[in-house]
Amino acid sequence: MSTSPDGMATHDCMDAGGRATQEAKAEVIFQRPVRHLPGDLAMWFFILAELTVFALLIVTFAVAQALQPALFHASRAALDSSIGLALTLSLLTAGLFAALAQEQLRRARSRRGAWLLLAALLAASVYVWLKLAEYGHLAAQGLGMEHNNFFTLYWILTGFHFLHVLLGMLILAWLALRCWRRSQVADDAALESGVLYWHMVDLIWVLLFPLVYVLN
Amino acid sequence: MATSRLLILCWLGLVALSITSVQLGNAGAGLLLAAAVLLVALGKAWLIADGFMHLRHAPPLWRGLLLGWPLVVGGLVLLTLWLQRGV
Repeated sequence: MSTSPDGMATHDCMDAGGRATQEAKAEVIFQRPVRHLPGDLAMWFFILAELTVFALLIVTFAVAQALQPALFHASRAALDSSIGLALTLSLLTAGLFAALAQEQLRRARSRRGAWLLLAALLAASVYVWLKLAEYGHLAAQGLGMEHNNFFTLYWILTGFHFLHVLLGMLILAWLALRCWRRSQVADDAALESGVLYWHMVDLIWVLLFPLVYVLN
Repeated sequence: MATSRLLILCWLGLVALSITSVQLGNAGAGLLLAAAVLLVALGKAWLIADGFMHLRHAPPLWRGLLLGWPLVVGGLVLLTLWLQRGV
């Protein structure tokens, strides 16, 4: 697009068919890309609420740590940061597949999208399997919720997040089924919202992981 | 750049930052290392928000809220670590 000295666009944005698209027109008028919030607004309010709750839990963990740093440092030794890294990578990989699925569905490739959502579910299953193994390992050592403050908060924080992972997987499974049946593929907002929920689960873990597993 | 390629690049960045985070944590204790770990977490949050969630195309208010969350929470965590040194 050419611009005159005063910065205004001087010709229409035309597509191959010679018709100016709505977005291109808007870009010409507003001189910037049209902003678009993906998914439903309701899902965004829900995401904000969830992020608020997790913010409170995370800060509580951090404050408790500041009050008993030696206890937290010693207790953290019972956790394996390699397992923590594997948990992180499985969640992130699931997020990638979910995002790729969304891209395929935007191009009306519903079967391909369904397969990618299934791949996301598989990656998420790795998370579930590793987490359950970790929980079992800790429980076997008697490091349950009542053992000390670190483990009370560890179980609450990661357990609550784990529930969100399970819900996210249910949502992904439901989306995969819908895509497989090629029904309502045009319902982009529902699909975007479902995938956004999963990305929120990833986002929360991104802060939870260093606090619980990494920081000394 | 094709969206798929961009998403895969985001994922590679996230993987690299995750490994970096663990290595920083294993490098020892200290406020500076902790700040580095939290900065890495912020970078990962940005990649998820702008990359996976496509918020780079979203209205500034929502993008600000979603990027503000890890900033505020990470900042508060860093604050507790800083105050802890004085206890």
